[in-house]
Amino acid sequence: MSGTPTLALAAEAVELINPRTIQICLVFSALLFSIGLFGFLTRRNMIVMFLCTELMFQGVALAMVTFSRMHLDISGQVFVIFILTVAAAEAALALGLVVLLYRRRTTLDVGAWSELKEC
Amino acid sequence: MEMVEKLTLITPDILLFVGAVVVAVLGLSGSRTIRQAVPLITGLFLIGSVVVTQFVYADPAALESSGLLFPKIGGYVKSLTGVVGLGLVALGTGTVDRAYERAVASGSAAFDPLRVVRGEYHAFLLLSLAGVMLVCNATDLIWLFLALELSVLPTYVMVALSRNNRRANESAIKYFFLGAMSTALFLYGFAMLYGATGSLNFIEIRDVLATQAAGEAGIAPFAVVGMGLALLGIFFKISAVPMHVYAPDVYEGASNPMTGFLSIVPKIAGFVAIIVLCGTFGWAGREQITAAGTTMVQEGLPAPISAMLWMVAVLTMTLGNIGALLQKSIKRLVAYSGITHSGYMLIGIVAGTENGTDALLFYLAAYSLGNLALFGVLAGLTRMGQDIESFDDLAGLWRTRPRMATMMALAAGSFVGMPPLIGFWGKLMVFIAGVESGHVVLVCVAAVNSAISSWYYLHLAGVPVVRMSTPRSESVTNGPRMAPRLVAVICGVGLLVVPVFTTPLYEFARTSMRYGELEEPAARSVASPTTPGRELDQG
Repeated sequence: MSGTPTLALAAEAVELINPRTIQICLVFSALLFSIGLFGFLTRRNMIVMFLCTELMFQGVALAMVTFSRMHLDISGQVFVIFILTVAAAEAALALGLVVLLYRRRTTLDVGAWSELKEC
Repeated sequence: MEMVEKLTLITPDILLFVGAVVVAVLGLSGSRTIRQAVPLITGLFLIGSVVVTQFVYADPAALESSGLLFPKIGGYVKSLTGVVGLGLVALGTGTVDRAYERAVASGSAAFDPLRVVRGEYHAFLLLSLAGVMLVCNATDLIWLFLALELSVLPTYVMVALSRNNRRANESAIKYFFLGAMSTALFLYGFAMLYGATGSLNFIEIRDVLATQAAGEAGIAPFAVVGMGLALLGIFFKISAVPMHVYAPDVYEGASNPMTGFLSIVPKIAGFVAIIVLCGTFGWAGREQITAAGTTMVQEGLPAPISAMLWMVAVLTMTLGNIGALLQKSIKRLVAYSGITHSGYMLIGIVAGTENGTDALLFYLAAYSLGNLALFGVLAGLTRMGQDIESFDDLAGLWRTRPRMATMMALAAGSFVGMPPLIGFWGKLMVFIAGVESGHVVLVCVAAVNSAISSWYYLHLAGVPVVRMSTPRSESVTNGPRMAPRLVAVICGVGLLVVPVFTTPLYEFARTSMRYGELEEPAARSVASPTTPGRELDQG
């Protein structure tokens, strides 16, 4: 009687940590991270650059969740909660800074901000 | 039980949090007397946390059950952070425009929230220092991540508010974006480490990695990539080479007291984080018992990581030097000099736990003292209400303000490594540790760089004496506040006096790295642990 649900649970767990699923999730997280990094390095609009860093954070979060499932260990998912919280705090800061800069120059282009450079 | 012990060890940090809240509230007070007392209260909280640190870290029960890789490192680092924080508070009191405050109080000027930053500035300063202190107590990757973020997030705001001009804003946005990118980088590294080991706890990760290293397959390549990314992200904090590009721009745009803050505090956080992470990756000279019950000596960092640190150290000191040689602006010069010093300090990391980290911790203290003296001079002087920024402002300073010129010369001498000054002992110990661990080539590169760096440091010390004063430099006057100049004098004299206490200070750094499980194996595996400090005494 008690054996059947346990077996079913175990089967489900095996199903969930199917290596193929893990692979797909990891490749997807790496893609998210790389797209974010690429966008960060190439785009010149401050809001878009900020979104790109968010994209990188989400890539990390997805990787964390995947590994957490792979190891059947909950701590990775706890980490994700903290990543999201810090990302939100960073978003508040970033938008504050962007508003401050927009008021001075009325443009969001980072190219307009190049007073500081090698002389 | 364990929770109580963990909380005991972070009492100094908690005290700073309380201080941050108190200071933020008092900064909004309607009474001018209370607002003016804010820096004083900040200083009191910092003194309190340094005192509490001494008591907390003398309690063996708390240290034993702390679950930390280096339980005692906080004793040294928190004391250092607190003392440096005191100096930085004294520098920062100058950021607020007192004349303007009086004008607002008497109603002759309109209120501008950007120019009244006293309470927030000090609250953010305390929060950032608390973040640095928390890095020492990190038991797992989550804690390390949160502590590093806590140490860096307030600084973005401090940079933006430090001056009411476009350059401060520009430096804040540059600092913020690159900082966010570096955070994402080290987080991805953390994720990979977690994936390769299945744990977030440093001690568990270390054990898993050691077991993997002992196996035939060796450490999973995945874990090695994770280590590399994690270190790369943290290189931003110490402005080491691939992540150093922000430093000159950000330092130049921020106000002088804030630049002093940026040149010291993130470096302490970054180096402690690197020490903790390298301990996790397995430094040499440590034994441990694996799951199978066998005792094994860890061979040290995985070869790719060790090679990466070596290359980064060489590139950091060389590129920093090349950049510094070309500068006319003092603040950019200090930025590049800070990059170079990070390169020297990385030798301590490459050398490993044997003597390297002790030397590194000592060097951090020496470097902080020199920077405080230098920024005391820069923040204590003003030219028509603007910060001192270029060498031209300093021409002929020797004739008008001999004391400030002397302090500047002492700071420069300490950075070069002139013998009686503390910078010399710091460099000597790092170099000795490097040679002892067999990295002779690295130390040779560092010595050559050190020689090259004397050119621009002597320039820094010489311009006030040699060059004739110009109308521009004659308009330089003392700043509105005494405190920064006082810091300059105290730290400048400290550069001369502290070397007398080299041995006790070095012993403090050494004992903070050796405690508990590390102590016994080190005593067993190393027959005669000679310390540079002792050798110096005999010689």
